[in-house]
Formats: sequence, C-alpha cells, structure tokens
Amino acid sequence: MQHLLTDEQRAKHTEFKNFVSLNVEPFANEWDREERIPDPVISMLAKSGCLGCSLPKKYGGQGWDVVTFGLLNEALGRGSSSLTGVLTVQTMVSMALLKWGTEAQKERWLPPLAKGEMIGAFALTEPGAGSAIQSLATEFTHSSRSDSLILNGNKKWISCAQLAGVFLVFGKLEQSSVACLVPRGTPGLEIEPIHDLMGFRSGGLAQLTFNDVEVPSANIVGKPGFALSHVAPVGLQYGRISTACSGLGLLRGCFEESVAYAAVRKIAEKTVGEIGMIRSLIARMGSDLEAGSFLCHNACRSEQDHVPEAFEKTLTAKYFTSRAAVRAASDAVQIRGASGCHESSPVSRYYRDSKIMEIIEGTTQIHEELLGKIYVGQAGKSRKQSDPVNCL
Amino acid sequence: MTSLNTGKENGVKETVKRFILSSINIAHLGDDDNLFESGIVNSLFTVQLMTFIEKTFAIEVGMDDLDIENFKSLNAATAFVVRKNGRGG
Repeated sequence: MQHLLTDEQRAKHTEFKNFVSLNVEPFANEWDREERIPDPVISMLAKSGCLGCSLPKKYGGQGWDVVTFGLLNEALGRGSSSLTGVLTVQTMVSMALLKWGTEAQKERWLPPLAKGEMIGAFALTEPGAGSAIQSLATEFTHSSRSDSLILNGNKKWISCAQLAGVFLVFGKLEQSSVACLVPRGTPGLEIEPIHDLMGFRSGGLAQLTFNDVEVPSANIVGKPGFALSHVAPVGLQYGRISTACSGLGLLRGCFEESVAYAAVRKIAEKTVGEIGMIRSLIARMGSDLEAGSFLCHNACRSEQDHVPEAFEKTLTAKYFTSRAAVRAASDAVQIRGASGCHESSPVSRYYRDSKIMEIIEGTTQIHEELLGKIYVGQAGKSRKQSDPVNCL
Repeated sequence: MTSLNTGKENGVKETVKRFILSSINIAHLGDDDNLFESGIVNSLFTVQLMTFIEKTFAIEVGMDDLDIENFKSLNAATAFVVRKNGRGG
C-alpha cells in the first residue's frame, strides 16, 4: 500500500510511528491499568498539532489530508486504542462544527480544539439509545426567561467525557433533533467516570447527567431537525475512519508481536513460527493487514475526494478492520500462550480493546444491515438497467 | 439570457437526475416528485446527494442552506444549485 502514498504522507507515517514507539507503546499498558492517560501525553499530542490535524490552518489546525489523518490513527492505534480515542472524538466534534457551525461558533470553539487546548466529546449515545439514535430521550426546551435552552437527560459511554471541555450534545427540541454545544462547568451538568471497562480502559469514558442545564440558543449547531440527518453523520464519518484505521493499527500490532514471538520462541527444537498451524494464523493476520490497509486507504481517499461513495467505503473499511482486529487479537494471544494472557503483554490489551472496535461508531450488525442494503440495492439497479422489461 | 439560464438549468437537472437514478432503486423520477414524502430515499441518501451537489457543482452547502425545501425534489435541487452558483457558491 506504501506505493499509493505520496512522499510527504510516507514521511509523516514514519514520523507518527516513531512517536508512538517512543511515547505510547512503552506506557500504554500502564495507562490501561490506571484507567487514565496522563495529561502530559495529551499535551504532547496537542503540541504536535495532531489533535487539530484535520482542521484548516485558518482556525489553527494543520490542514492535513484525510489519508494523513488515517495514517495518524493507524500509528496511534498500534500503540493505544484509548489514546487514539482522544483523536477520534476531537475530530468528530471539530469536523461537525466546521461543516455546520456558524462563523461565530467556529471562531470561538475551533481554535482551542485545533490546538488541543480543549478536548471535545461527542455526546450522542444514551442509556436507552445506542444504535437506535432516533430514540434519543435527551430533551431541550425553550427557556421562558431568555434566548436559551434548558437541557435535561442522560448520556452514557461518552468517550473522553472525563477530560472534555465541551460536549456536542444531541437530543430533541419539540420533536426535532438538535445538536448543541455544552461547555464543561455549566451548572447542572454532572460528569461521572465509568470504570472497570473491558477495553478502552484509559479512554476517559463517562456518563453525563443534565439537570436543567441552561445553554444559549446560539450554541445550536446546524438547525433543529437536521442534527441526526446532517450534523451527526459528519462526525460519525470521521469517527468511522478513525476507528477503521485505529483497528488497522491494532491489527498491525498483533501481527508484529506475533511474528516477532514466533521467530524466537522454541518448542522442543522448533521455533513456534515453524509450526504449520501457527503459520496459518499468521498468514491470515498478514493478509487481513494487507487487505485492511487498502480498504482504509480507499475510505480515506474517498472522503478526501468528497465523493458520495465515501460513506460506503468507510463502512466497509470499519466493518473489515474491526472484525479482523478481533480475530487477530485472539490469534495473537493464542500464539503467545500463557504469556499472552498476562497484562505485561500488549496482546492481552489488544484482545480486550479489539472487541470495543466492533461496537463503537456503529456495531458490526449495524454495518451489516447498512452494507447489505447498499449491495442489494446496487444489484437491483444493475438488473433493471440491463433488463428494460423489468423496468416497466 | 433566459435561454442561457434555461440551458444551464437543464444541464444541472440532468446531472442531478442521473445521480439520483443511479443511486436509488427507482426507474422513473418526475421533476417535482417529493423524494422525502414518497419514502424512496433515506437519510444516508440525503447526505450523499448533498455531497454530490457540493462536489459536482463546486458549491458548499452550509448551515443557512439546511432546508428540506432545497433538496425535496429534482426541481428544488436544480433551483438550489443554480441559485448558489449565481451568487458564487
């Protein structure tokens, strides 16, 4: 896949991988145990410009192309899914705001997001509304006192909510979907950390409770009625690209750890890598890695080119790499045996983190429903076009 | 001038129509058929149509353009594109 990258993209990818091998991989297990990423690490990522990498320079971002964004996620995903999650949600909030925010909103919020001085969180999921986002129960009402809204409800499983300075909250306003920026510290907003997760343990997940939270109407992003059809999809598109590429990075981690182990670990007179059954596992991992690389590149290029197929290409990449990551992590643990079951080995963390990849930004089943519908629909159109009789 | 505008509109309409017919599973689309009321498109298509229009006609759909009236039919989308192009995107 390297041949599809520009010299600049290749150089950036090398830079990202070096950063991760030096600053992330050696510490990721410790962060996982402590369920927290140290502030200096986030600051380091911010100072490097990574947290605003997709935003235009006009707002203090780096203006990197989507392929470079994908490569950054891949590199970070090799080291820590939780740390990649910070970039994921930061970009989801930033890009939704860039597309649908007013100029005043962009001028106020995008510069601190671009510089990583503020972390954003995408508050969509609720205790009773995960995949079924139409069922949101979070409610905005017009305030009788001023030009503001009153917010009540709950959000759950919100990545980075523990460290976020602003939340893009989705809910209903008089039966219309609405998205609104809610700053941390707004009276009535409670943030309760979620502990003891299986994976993404240092991802800063939290539950949010809104008790009569008052926010200015000027904080509405987009227009009421378009939050789920237009605002959320922009964020989710970047969320899926990020997750697809992060899953690819995790897959590479499984592959690299496995081949390194298989080359030196001996059973009797043979290395593990000389055993046919282990070679089968590694062959599947390696070919999944190659296939996933192309799918992720294709998704990133489609988004970069701003073509309507970008949504489908991104669904395909996320569907493939998240499932392949789960398989690879399971096989990586199997190859390492007992040592792979201990927290001292990154593959045990990969094993737990990979499963989360199949759930966030749309479950595997949601992807199957959407992709199945798209593929069958395309087949139906082809048939009609080639068989005029059936068009009648 | 009128004929120039009409020619431009027809070109836009044909382009948008080709995209819609190649994207959704219908054989015929009337100029004023309501895409949303008829249930022939879903929210995914709404975003895809917007992306197509932005890419093809080099315009940006912004917050002020978020109005279902702009995209509800072939004629509505055509008028929207011509209007946006007329004022430079």
